[in-house]
Amino acid sequence: MVLAAIQSRVRSSTAYRQLSDQVRYTRQGISDNVPTIPGLPYAYISPFFILFGVFLLFPTLYTLYLSFFNYVGVSNDILLQIQAGPLTVSIPAIANLEFVGLSHYERLIFRDSLFHTSLFNTSFIFLVQVPLMVGLGLATALVLDSKFIRAKGLFRTLIALPVATGLVAYSTIFLLLFNDQVGLINYALVQLGLSPVAWLGSAWGARITLVIAVTWRWLGYNMIILLAGLQTVPQQLYEAAEIDGASRWQKFRYVTLPQLRPVLLFVVVSSTIGTFQIFSEPYVITGGGPSNATITIVQYIYNQAFLQLNLGYASAVSVILVLIVSAMSIVQIHYGGDQDA
Amino acid sequence: MATIDITKLRKVFGDENGEIVAVDDLDLTVEDGEFLVFVGPSGCGKTTTLRCIAGLEDVTSGTIEFDGRDVTDRRARERDVAMVFQNYALYPHMTVRKNIGFPLRLSTKQSSDEIDARVEEIAGLLGIDTLLEQKPRELSGGQQQRVALGRAIIRDPEVFLMDEPLSNLDAKLRSTMRTELQELQSELGVTTAYVTHDQTEAMAMGDRIVILEGGELQQVGTPSDVYRSPANEFVAGFIGSPSINAFTADVDGGLLTGPGGFEYALDDPSLVEGYDRVRVGVRPEDLRPEVDGAMPSEVTVVEEMGNENFLYARMGDVDLTARIESEIHPEEGVTVAFGFDEEDLYLFDPKTSESIKTKTSETDISYEQYVQPGPDQ
Amino acid sequence: MREEERNEALWRFGAYIFLMVIVVLVLIPLYWMIVAATIPQSEFFSWPPRLIPGLQWFDNFQALQENVDFLNSIGNSIIIAVAYTALSLVLCSMAGFAFAKYEFRFKEPLFYFILATLVLPIQLLIIPLFLLMVQIGWTNSYLAVILPWAANPLGIFLMRQNMQAIPESLLESARMDGATEFQLYYKIALPTMLPSLAALSIILFLNQWQAFLYPLVILQDPQMYTIPLALAELVGQQRVYFDQIMVATSLAVTPIFVVFLTMQQYFIKGILSGSVKQ
Repeated sequence: MVLAAIQSRVRSSTAYRQLSDQVRYTRQGISDNVPTIPGLPYAYISPFFILFGVFLLFPTLYTLYLSFFNYVGVSNDILLQIQAGPLTVSIPAIANLEFVGLSHYERLIFRDSLFHTSLFNTSFIFLVQVPLMVGLGLATALVLDSKFIRAKGLFRTLIALPVATGLVAYSTIFLLLFNDQVGLINYALVQLGLSPVAWLGSAWGARITLVIAVTWRWLGYNMIILLAGLQTVPQQLYEAAEIDGASRWQKFRYVTLPQLRPVLLFVVVSSTIGTFQIFSEPYVITGGGPSNATITIVQYIYNQAFLQLNLGYASAVSVILVLIVSAMSIVQIHYGGDQDA
Repeated sequence: MATIDITKLRKVFGDENGEIVAVDDLDLTVEDGEFLVFVGPSGCGKTTTLRCIAGLEDVTSGTIEFDGRDVTDRRARERDVAMVFQNYALYPHMTVRKNIGFPLRLSTKQSSDEIDARVEEIAGLLGIDTLLEQKPRELSGGQQQRVALGRAIIRDPEVFLMDEPLSNLDAKLRSTMRTELQELQSELGVTTAYVTHDQTEAMAMGDRIVILEGGELQQVGTPSDVYRSPANEFVAGFIGSPSINAFTADVDGGLLTGPGGFEYALDDPSLVEGYDRVRVGVRPEDLRPEVDGAMPSEVTVVEEMGNENFLYARMGDVDLTARIESEIHPEEGVTVAFGFDEEDLYLFDPKTSESIKTKTSETDISYEQYVQPGPDQ
Repeated sequence: MREEERNEALWRFGAYIFLMVIVVLVLIPLYWMIVAATIPQSEFFSWPPRLIPGLQWFDNFQALQENVDFLNSIGNSIIIAVAYTALSLVLCSMAGFAFAKYEFRFKEPLFYFILATLVLPIQLLIIPLFLLMVQIGWTNSYLAVILPWAANPLGIFLMRQNMQAIPESLLESARMDGATEFQLYYKIALPTMLPSLAALSIILFLNQWQAFLYPLVILQDPQMYTIPLALAELVGQQRVYFDQIMVATSLAVTPIFVVFLTMQQYFIKGILSGSVKQ
């Protein structure tokens, strides 16, 4: 309020108005003298495309390239030198590489048991986590969409709160909660007369901890999307079904579900993609342990690339990861998209 | 103020899939200070023509001159034209004051104080001076319309363009705004080109009317010209409401015979000399029930409007409409003969649709006997 | 009839219980963060643990600051996230404007090409980006973190989608009022897009604020650490100080909570606009 008053005071003062007029005249002078650029749209899009090309497109292709090589070390070679008058621009080679053909892929698929472990761990999280999270998200959204619920906004805000927590930040909270010795969860179990669980100290405990953590973080996110989807279902459809004597379940089965199908599909696909890329949570909460029981694919890529500097091999893992994720998405879209309910 | 000369204007839209000729070889002059209305069915090229004048479309060929200056290749911002759009195109993030002042802020060196004073003057003229600090979405349709007008007139443009500015208003407001627009235009004296699809609006507002169809000019003339002396059957059908009754009749000397027992002997057979067949047109308001009338037809629907009755009838396979006095209400299903005066009869060439004969009735009945002496006489 | 009413009442009761349980489960970790951040580490290892918050937040914060320079990390995070958001907004809105409102050669193929890259996971880019940054000597620099995702495919998609809704007549009207083409962008298009820009900035800011893997690779100097890196550093220390970690975590999440609570509509718009890309 006060700020607005001050703002309007300043804006109506003579000095401000004179200054702003001066600024305006200068601007007019500039725009009158700047000729219209014939390729104006290209001027608008080129900054984007320059960054896009250098930092997104090139690396993508280079990863593919790198997966057929062994990384030997930093290169001092000059890849390309352009002499333009007094100016010399030289582009250095990116790395010293040794061609190995498909051998990375062969090792990955047939011989690398740690990679297979990471694939198994990630798949486990995916298989438990995605149905759990989507199911809970749908249930929450359905209940919140009911006409009789009061304080909808409050419930929605509270349940969506974890969406605002950073990935590493929320992971540290779960690290504490599930601590085997001092964690609140084990304390609660003991209070209830149960025996404490070795959450982070056992393979299955650690995996389940990750599932619970990720569900906590993304439940609200999926609920928001599903709730928005539910709100687009025309009210008349429910009314028509009611007149036809449909039960609550029948209304859900024959009205809600078919109408919600595209949104549900989006939630499933994006959760799948997200789960296969999981990194921060195992890095912080379990460190991939105990004894690699929770190491994920991306964590394996990170270890291979940046702890052991097997950059070529890590690139091959990345390519495999992209293939897996794309295949999963295509399968889900294929089976979820076109068939009628 | 400016005279607009349009010469051989042609505008073709198209890509590799084909071309659409939106405006075809249009020659037209808009006189200085004139209110010219472009009218025609949708897709006739009226809006494209307006946009070419505005500089929003590049022309394919031809020239556009303002007062003899060729502006064909000038951009919109260099032409000194103002335009009111169908959806008003008010800037949603600016207040009314900013909206109206926007053209001055962009293209003149007036100070903020001068601009404010001018905005307030214009707002006063349009009766929206109490709304200056509001945003467009807080305004009613009529108020938004006035803001759009204000933004157009604030910089005294040479040419004023309006693209269906009244079509988003409800019927009652539309007729009020129609009058206001006309008063405003004659007060400012700005050359105005106005596009509408509504022939009533065109008749009511235009000094002259341009009728377009399929990108081609059909006729330019005063409202009375295009109503009484249409150049062809299209114009005759488009102007006037309800539409003119038209059908084909065989010619036998001076005798016209047509569907459903239509039979009319022309007083002046020379009109149809050389024709075997001819298109006959009679406006609904010129028909009246008549003993032995030329058009025996079966009444299908009677609409009582209070001040008059609309009769819908069938003569053979032709549907007829007649506007008759409210005292006469025939029952549906009876056959009534309609007649007309030959001076109200239209005849068109059946091949080219060009007019052969149009209205010849008296148009200049003296009214001097009714004039009241003025206060100073 | 009576049975139906009873069923309905039971159903409603069950629905509220369900929501309450979810809310409690959501809030417990956040509550625990507050408790742990405000009591001394010593009380932590006592049994039973304390269940109500204490007053030791500031003491814990001082200990944290002596351990790692967390304020510096907050500064780094703010600089990187703000610069990244601003740069990306400019790039995406300009390109989105061109894609929405101009005709040019290769417009469609270029756009669909960008769309296709929406599905590329970031892991695919990290290794070459790392090599690139090493080669040009940009590791441990802000720019190395800011630039790569500034050309954000989701951003350009959202901007184009929303700017298509700007009526053509609005731009034409401005042209006739004397605006240059560039003024159309920043005087008409941008101001009418404020809600969408707000939603997009929230997505961009949040993504950068919580980015972990890529900064972990590029920023190795502790002086350059962002908040997630500093947190990971604390977690990885020989002795884990949960009180310090929770202070740091509370500092990391509080600003975003404030944004979430005050600008929830834009937050939700941001989440939803990401979900229409199908």
